[in-house]
Amino acid sequence: MESTEPSPQPRPPLIQVQSVVKKYTRDTQVLTVLDGLSLTVDAGDFVALMGPSGSGKTTLLNLIAGIDRPTSGRVLVGADEVSAMSESALAKWRSRHVGFIFQLYNLVPVLTAYENVELPLLLTPLSRAQRRKQVELALSIVGLSDRMDHTPRQLSGGQEQRVAIARAIGTDPTLLVADEPTGDLDARSGEEILVLLERLNDEFHKTIVMVTHDPKAAAKAHRLVHLDKGVLEEDVRAAGSGG
Amino acid sequence: MIRFLPLVLKNVFRKKTRSVLTIASILLPLFVICILGTLLAALDADPSGGKGMFRLTVRHRISITNFLPEAYLPKIRQLPGVKEVTVMNWFGGKYVDNSAKNFFARFAIDPEPFLRVFDEATVVEGSTAEWMNDRSGLMVGQVLMGKYGWRLGQQITLKGDIFPGIYTFTIRAVFKGADESGVYFDRRVLEEAVPRFKGLVGLFWIKCDSVQTVERLPKEIDAMFENSPYPTKTETEKEFQNSWVSMLGNVRLLITSITTIIVLVILLIAANTMAMSARERVTEIAVLRTLGFQRGTILGLVLGESVLLSLFGGFLGVALFVLSFPGFKQGMLSSPMGGFAAGMRLFPGILALGFGITLLVGLLSGLVPAIRSAQRPIADGLRQVG
Repeated sequence: MESTEPSPQPRPPLIQVQSVVKKYTRDTQVLTVLDGLSLTVDAGDFVALMGPSGSGKTTLLNLIAGIDRPTSGRVLVGADEVSAMSESALAKWRSRHVGFIFQLYNLVPVLTAYENVELPLLLTPLSRAQRRKQVELALSIVGLSDRMDHTPRQLSGGQEQRVAIARAIGTDPTLLVADEPTGDLDARSGEEILVLLERLNDEFHKTIVMVTHDPKAAAKAHRLVHLDKGVLEEDVRAAGSGG
Repeated sequence: MIRFLPLVLKNVFRKKTRSVLTIASILLPLFVICILGTLLAALDADPSGGKGMFRLTVRHRISITNFLPEAYLPKIRQLPGVKEVTVMNWFGGKYVDNSAKNFFARFAIDPEPFLRVFDEATVVEGSTAEWMNDRSGLMVGQVLMGKYGWRLGQQITLKGDIFPGIYTFTIRAVFKGADESGVYFDRRVLEEAVPRFKGLVGLFWIKCDSVQTVERLPKEIDAMFENSPYPTKTETEKEFQNSWVSMLGNVRLLITSITTIIVLVILLIAANTMAMSARERVTEIAVLRTLGFQRGTILGLVLGESVLLSLFGGFLGVALFVLSFPGFKQGMLSSPMGGFAAGMRLFPGILALGFGITLLVGLLSGLVPAIRSAQRPIADGLRQVG
């Protein structure tokens, strides 16, 4: 007996990178970093961008995160065409939809862990009490509730990165982008961070796009995208991952 | 923007030594600017509490060192609008020695009309009667009494130069309210000691009944004596005071130039600090922008930082000036410049100017780093390390 229910509409991918070209001009030299690259990422996916230095991984990540613009082509995240937004609209969009995790953590050294996590929330209309609730929740997720009043100098590298992750998830963004999040950490701290990212993906259904050189880090992702000389070289889904 | 204030404050004191040095480099010049500005304003101030605007002086057209005949007195007195006229002769001479520290104004006058023309002067020790009844009595300004620690009844000896001789006076009255850094005595003392000066007057002071009379009389008086052997120059009290100031050179231009240079130096120091501070935080500012901070917000944060830093220095500079002002004024009044310092007070305009300058320095010094920080592409900022 055939089902009478209509077949579900396929959900559009969260990220659509369409024929993107990115060129940089250094003095008189024009350098093509991304050369007509196309890529889609589904909501809830965990993608690792890999490739040799200069392959365009970070540039692609920046374009997806709306902190750089393509020379040509389109970048869409959800229903928003990121590549066509004004500077001001992009800033607003980033604050609502993107959480950033950097290799060198990039915390503000004069602020405490609490204040660092609160920073992006200052851009929202949340009251002080609501912000406190959000910050405390984010810090508890990364396991640093007892380090709220510590400044970055009083934290280890792994703890700093966990504060950076709390800052990234504080606004409950749609997308987390991470640029070599374990690149500056020892093996144990790196592992802790990867477990945390996995948890954010599994439990909180955050879509994660992560640039990494580290095969161990890449192994945590569901999908591995290899870039070389600005083009997509290989796109493989890890065994056992859904989608 | 107020929710970012804690961040701005923490950034101001991020490098404590640098911030303290920058604040000090604003504080001290601001203190000097307040002093210079107060001196400049005091030159234009009226220490008589507004009474000076009703007074005129008449002197010899060529110079104040040339005398006029006393016979002019009744002619001036009978002019319409003249309430009182008095005479005043500059004694010169020396007290103890010719050093600057022992210099003060010494005038020979006619006591009764003098007190009617300068009626803002109030006797606070002794009495006018004692002073007027004693031919060798001396009326001394309160500031001068304080400077030398003189007492009522003490004898003071002055050695004359224009009016040769040794003159011993007794302090009979101490006054306040007019130029408190001078001494006044009966001019008959000099006329008796040096008879050739009898009937000669250095200055006539006129008290008028209205401002209109003050405007009208100078031309009338000067016209009256134009063809005489002793032509006159009649001026308002303010013009007369300004002519003394101008003897020191173009003081206003000098003070204004020094102040301008000081402001420029503070500006350069503050701008250097802000440029360094912003340069060190290129990556951090790029991170803030990735978090969603708008260009305008970044501009506001950096500018807010430079303005706060500058205002800290400015506030401390102005506060230091206000606290030290009484001592400073006392020192000035006791100096040979005491006459010019009589009009010194805490001018609200000068204090506001101090704050205005610091605000301007804060805004200008932070403007270029703020614009650069806000304009730099995020990806470029993130690529910089350190």
